[in-house]
Parts: sequence; C-alpha cells; structure tokens
Amino acid sequence: MRTLLLASTIALFAPAASAQTVFLDDATIVDAKGQRVTSDIIWADGAIVQEGANLTAPQGAETVSGAWVTPGLFAPMSTLGLTDLGSAGRGNDISAEDAPTSVSERAADSFNPRSPYIANTRGRGVTHAVVAPGTSSGSIFAGTGAVISLTGEFDSVLIEDAFVFLSLGEAGGARAGGSRAAAMAQLRAAISDAEGFFRRYNDAPDGGDALSRQDANALRSAVNGDIPMMIQADRASDLVAIIRLKDENPDLDIIVVGATEAWDVADELADADIRVIIDPLHNLPTSFEAVGARIDNVLFLEEAGVDYAIANLSSFRVVKPASLAQHAGNAVGEGLDWGTAFAAISSVPASWFGVESETVVVWDGDPLNATSAPIAVTIDGEVMSMDSRITALRDRYNPLNTDQRPHKYR
Amino acid sequence: MKNYLVPLTLTLAALAACQPASENKAAENSDKALAFPSTYSPQPSNTVLLKNAKLIDGVSKEIREGDLLVADGKIAFVGTGEVPDDATEIDVEGRFVTPGIIDIHSHLGNYPTPSVRAHGDGNEATSPITSEVDAEHGVWPQDPGFDEALQGGVTTLHILPGSANLFGGKGVTLRNVPSRTVQGMKFPDAPETLKMACGENPKRVYGAKGGPASRMGNVAGYRKNWIKAAEYKAKRDKGGDYKRDLQLETLADVLDGKILVNMHCYRADEMVQILDIAKEFDYKVTTFHHAVESYKIGDILADNDVCSAMWADWGSFKMESYDYIRENVPFVHAAGACAMIHSDDENNVQRLNQEVAKTWSDGNRAGLDISKAEAWQWLSTNPAKALGILDETGTLEAGKRADIVVWNGDPFSAYARPDKVMIDGAILYDRETGLKPKSDFRLGHADLSEGVR
Repeated sequence: MRTLLLASTIALFAPAASAQTVFLDDATIVDAKGQRVTSDIIWADGAIVQEGANLTAPQGAETVSGAWVTPGLFAPMSTLGLTDLGSAGRGNDISAEDAPTSVSERAADSFNPRSPYIANTRGRGVTHAVVAPGTSSGSIFAGTGAVISLTGEFDSVLIEDAFVFLSLGEAGGARAGGSRAAAMAQLRAAISDAEGFFRRYNDAPDGGDALSRQDANALRSAVNGDIPMMIQADRASDLVAIIRLKDENPDLDIIVVGATEAWDVADELADADIRVIIDPLHNLPTSFEAVGARIDNVLFLEEAGVDYAIANLSSFRVVKPASLAQHAGNAVGEGLDWGTAFAAISSVPASWFGVESETVVVWDGDPLNATSAPIAVTIDGEVMSMDSRITALRDRYNPLNTDQRPHKYR
Repeated sequence: MKNYLVPLTLTLAALAACQPASENKAAENSDKALAFPSTYSPQPSNTVLLKNAKLIDGVSKEIREGDLLVADGKIAFVGTGEVPDDATEIDVEGRFVTPGIIDIHSHLGNYPTPSVRAHGDGNEATSPITSEVDAEHGVWPQDPGFDEALQGGVTTLHILPGSANLFGGKGVTLRNVPSRTVQGMKFPDAPETLKMACGENPKRVYGAKGGPASRMGNVAGYRKNWIKAAEYKAKRDKGGDYKRDLQLETLADVLDGKILVNMHCYRADEMVQILDIAKEFDYKVTTFHHAVESYKIGDILADNDVCSAMWADWGSFKMESYDYIRENVPFVHAAGACAMIHSDDENNVQRLNQEVAKTWSDGNRAGLDISKAEAWQWLSTNPAKALGILDETGTLEAGKRADIVVWNGDPFSAYARPDKVMIDGAILYDRETGLKPKSDFRLGHADLSEGVR
C-alpha cells in the first residue's frame, strides 16, 4: 500500500512528516465569523508560519493551489463515542431503557474517545461536537450531555455537564405516558423539584413531584440557567409552549433541537432569546408534527435574527456529523449567505458552550461543497492524524493497490 | 428493453385466445400479464429546443456543448440537428443538461411520509417467503416524497418491498409523475423485479418466529424454495393441469429469466455465496443493493456481470454495514463492475447528484481518474441498465424518452438545483415559474407558499 501514490499532499500533512513545509498558493482563508480573504500561506509543523499576498514558495516546499483554510467544524448534535454500532446492543450507550435514573445520566461517563467514528468524523473537518444522550421510556429527560474535542484522547471531554437534554412534542409525549400535556406537566414538576431541591428533598429522597433526588440535583444547574436546557421539539405549537415556559422561567437558557416549524414562530423565538438547532434539509412532512417542514426554514430564522446552528438530524446517527458541511452547503444552495452558513457549523455553536479552541482545517476546496475534503486538521496546535478505520479499509482494497499478497497481509 | 420478455408475453397472450392452449407455452401467464396494467400516458409536451447546453449524456466521458431537441416526448437529437419551425427555443445559456435521475432503491409510496405506523406498507413481515406480494399494492401515490424527489431531478423510481424476508416480493418501476393511481405511474413494459434479502434482517425478524435464525437458515431457505420453484416451473412448462400459485409463479418466472433479481446484501462473502446459489439453480442476480462491501469483491462482481447499488457514505448503523468506505461506488466502477448510487431514503433521493459528487471526489482523491461525465452513469445509465429500461431512458440519446434535467449550476455541487425537470418531454417541475406537483396530503396544513423574501 505504501507504494501507492495517494494525493501527495496528504502525506505531506501527516504528523510523521510535520517537519515538511507546504506553500498554499492563493489560499482562501476563513475566519471564525465566516469572512473570507485570499492569501498565500507558508505552513509548517501544523501551523501557519507566514501569511500574505504574493509570498514566494520556500525552497523544497510542496505547493498546493486552491486550498481553503478554516477553523474546525463544531457539530451541534451527535452521539459520537456513545455507541459501537448504530443498532441497539450492549455497546450502545445512547439511552438506558431500564434505568431508574434520567437527568443524572451523563454522556461523559459513557463517552469513548477511542471510538473509530471519532477519527472518521475528524477526517471530515469536525474538531468539536456536542454529545447528547437519547430519551427512554418513563422520562422526557435523556440525561446530561457533554462537549468534546475530536482528538481521540482521554482528556477530550471539554465540558462534562454541558447541558440537559429532553424531548417534548410527539417523542416527549410518548416518554411521559402518552400526551404533550403529560410531557409538559412532567417538565414543570421537574423544574419545581430542582428549584425547591433543598426544601423538598432535605429528609425525603423521594420528596419530588417528578424526579428522584439525584435527578433533581442534576437538573439544578439547567434550571438556574448555568447550563442550557436542550429541548427536542418540532411543531410550531410546541415551540410556542416552550416560549411560554421561558416566559414563566426567565432564567432558563433554552436551545431547541429540531424546530422544524420554527419559521412559523421565528420572530417570537428571537424575542424570547431561544436558540435553535435545525436540519436545513428537513422538508418532508415526516410526521404530523412536521407537516410544516420546509427547505427554507433557515432563511426565516436568519431574517428574524434567531441565534441558530445547523446540524444533520436525520439519516443514520453514528455517521451523522460527517455530512455537517454538506448540510450547511445546502443551506447556501437555498440562499443563505456562505459565511453565515459556515458560522452556523463552527463559531456559533462553539460560542454557546464557550469553547475557545485553536483549530485549523486545510481543505482541498470550498469546505461547504460536496466535492471537498480536509487535507489537514489541527486542534490546539496538535496535528491530527488523517487516518481512520475507513481510510485503512480504503487503502487495503484500493483497486490501484498493486500488492499481490492476500488482503489480510496488506 | 425490447429484449425482455414482458412485451413478448403480452403479445403472445393476446394471440393465445385463438390458439389451442397446449400449443402455446407462453400463454400460461396470460392472467398475470393482464393484471394491474400500466395506464401511464405522458403529459402533453411541446417541441422544445434546449440551446447552448453543457451536456452530460450518460454515455460519453466528456461534457459536450450543444443543443438538444425534444419532439413528441422523445429526444430528437443531441448536439446538432434539424430544428422544426414549431420548436420553442429555450436558451439554457451554458447550464448543465443531464438525463433524469433514476433511483433503483426507493420506498417512496410504500413507506411514505408522514411516517405513521399505518403507512408501513413495505414489509409483509408475516413469513420469510412472500414472493407472492407486489410492492405496487403498497404504494400510495400521494406520498409527498414523490414530489420532492421530482424537484431533485428524479424521473424514474424503482419501489421495492423491504428486507425483512428472504423473498420479499416484487418491485415496481415507476415514472415519477403526478397520478391518482399507481397504475398511472407504472413504467410501461418495464421488466418485473423481485426483492430478496441477505443477512441480518431476515434472521432478526424471524429468529424467534420459526426461523431463519442464522445466515445458515437464510441460505437453506433460499435453496428449499428454488427447488419448489423448479418443480413448479417443470409442471408449468409441460402445460398440463397445475394449480396457479402466486408465490411459486414469481420464482418460476425468475428461473425463466423474466424477472430481475434485486438482492439486499451488505457483506462481500455473503454476496459470493448468493452467486453460487444462483449458479446452482440457474438464475441471475441482476443487482446487489446496499452492497456496502462490494469494493472488496469488485473483480468477482465484474466477472459475474452483477451490478451494485450503493450509498456514498452511509454505514456502521449495524454490524453488516460496519466496513463502509466512502469510495465504494468508484472502486467497484474501477474494477470494471456495474456501479450505481441508490437512496433507500426519502431525503437522499432529493440529492442523489450530491451523493455521487461526494463518492466521485473521494474516489479520485484515492488516486482514481474518473471524469464527472463518466460518473454520471451511476445516476441514470447504470440504474436504467439494471432495471432493463436502458433502451428507453437513462441517457440523452436520440429516440429515447425525453427524461431531462436542466440544472442551475454544476450538478456535482451542494449548491446546484434542478431548474427544469422533464418527463417524456413534459416539463413537470420548473423552478423559475414555480410549477410543481402538490400531494393531496399537503392541502389544508401549514401554508408553505410564501417565502421569506
């Protein structure tokens, strides 16, 4: 395999060859806000050594033309590191069907940084991600989510208790016993349990209306507004109910996930300072709570001034964040400004969680276009490997591979 | 298309009425040939000249510049030719013009949106052997997904039963046209197809319901039923008394080469076992679907002349999809085997051009040298071939149905959208004028007509 001529730039950017110097001729440089400038760059040891117009390539440096240099992508929603396979089974820690706990279940405790999906996803330019648990029966609360970096190292959980995740709408109704009213009643009771924690549970571990003592304790920081409460909901009327909830509980820092019909209440969401994570490709009435799904939902949010991030919320969950850039690119295809779309998968969600990490991704073209891919990724100055399980399989079975030995020896 | 036996069967069936039954073996299927016939007729169309197009024709490896004339719903010429006086000229000003996209693996209509339980009409999961059922009987023509797929440039769809069963039932090839009935969408004279399934799904669904509970049981299940089918076929060929059996009729028609086998199979080793079963019982597998590991056996698939319908970047959602790579389609193509994209999804069907763009670029990044025009074969040419309709559609060639997409940009881009979609020369979607179909289901719900700007 090593004899195979892969795109030579990949080898140059690899950590083993980090001493190599690369000249990026006429590179497009994108800042955190998505603004673009064109410049030449001299790149060495995983960092920009020099930047400016009309630089001269250093002697011995490889020249790459048409590259884009951007901050890393931030996936606002994922289950990275929580499951070995998408399907159910012992290796799937996304949700706990039979556990007596809810809010106090922490994704950070399940997170496996050595999951091969971390490297697969990093290979698509994603350097940070929200890791969210899923709901299970009996509770609208899925648990407490984390924010991670995709270094694959054991210190890569940046925020262990980053947000509390819960479902309303059809899913929340089903979890609460069968109706939206039951879900909202559970949420209001849980908020009261957390607010009155020291009073209700002082000598009575089961003194709450909705939550056990440990779960009420875990909900306190979200009820105080110290961390976001992330709520999955889609129907416009559910979003209105959430706006009412915020009105009743002004301390809540709410992020709505899904928000398929947000276009119908976009001004109200903006007024209530409720943030939103949407999938800009959701345009089918996949359920009755999404009959108002439309491809230009994101344009309404932009127009109304809603603080929003873009995610892939459909399709198969373990590979979801890999197509993050394509999702933002499609929002551009529908009319969203390029820089705004880029920010919605990078600086916007990063700012929500206060993540200030130095990341650089060098792409072989416009990162939001379907045909582009990263050729180098750095996180806090560390050059990341571009190898992963899927590239290892690719290299072993590449039809250009001239190795005559059985595949298992390649 | 004309080589397939369905039109022939129809002709012979018509003749059978005035011939003694014993003299006409092909007449036995006359009941079947008349069941649920297509009532499709093209929408009215004009003679249209698309001028100054960048043509990706599905055949050439190069993008060509030229004109394309549509007359009587057919492609009259591609490049240059004689333009009749009554032709309406549309100057596409250098925009890309391509064949309509064909999705060989769709559940639009039989798993329609909204995805309520009552809409689950794609799996007859009551027995592992249900070759007697037809996907078309579970297709709801009001699925809003058809309309959105059209706006993504999809002009022909192959709707399959799901993968719960070893023998899932027959598929149906549809024109993606607005219709009150599924018969009004059926691609006239398209060959019949059969859905079969390998691997995890049948053994999971039936493991606690009498089996199969393992891949061993799956293979035994295929073989037992091919033996029955061969017996049935022998009886039928003799022409004497036999009781018509819908389940075995489908399988016997496969053995007669009249039905194309479309097999859901992920793992490379399993696909090769299936090819051995096909040799044992002398039938042909036309296409493996999903085929996540086809890249491991591209040479074997090429030798056996079997197609693979694949995703660009889906995998790891279960064990048999664990070894997905992003270069599956181009690697299979480079090995000389028939490769194509498929959706199996109501979202990705709207952007199959992007799915090809991704996997095409990943293949070239891995060292291959495939042109965009050549890669387009994964979107229309090869699916048409696999469905036995390449004589009628799938490429921009004179004489074919005018199934055409005019794009507002390079279709190998996340930013490009179809501007116009023609089926049999009729413009059924027009981005500029706002012409598009609207399912009954869309009526009376949220008003989506007003845009933000």
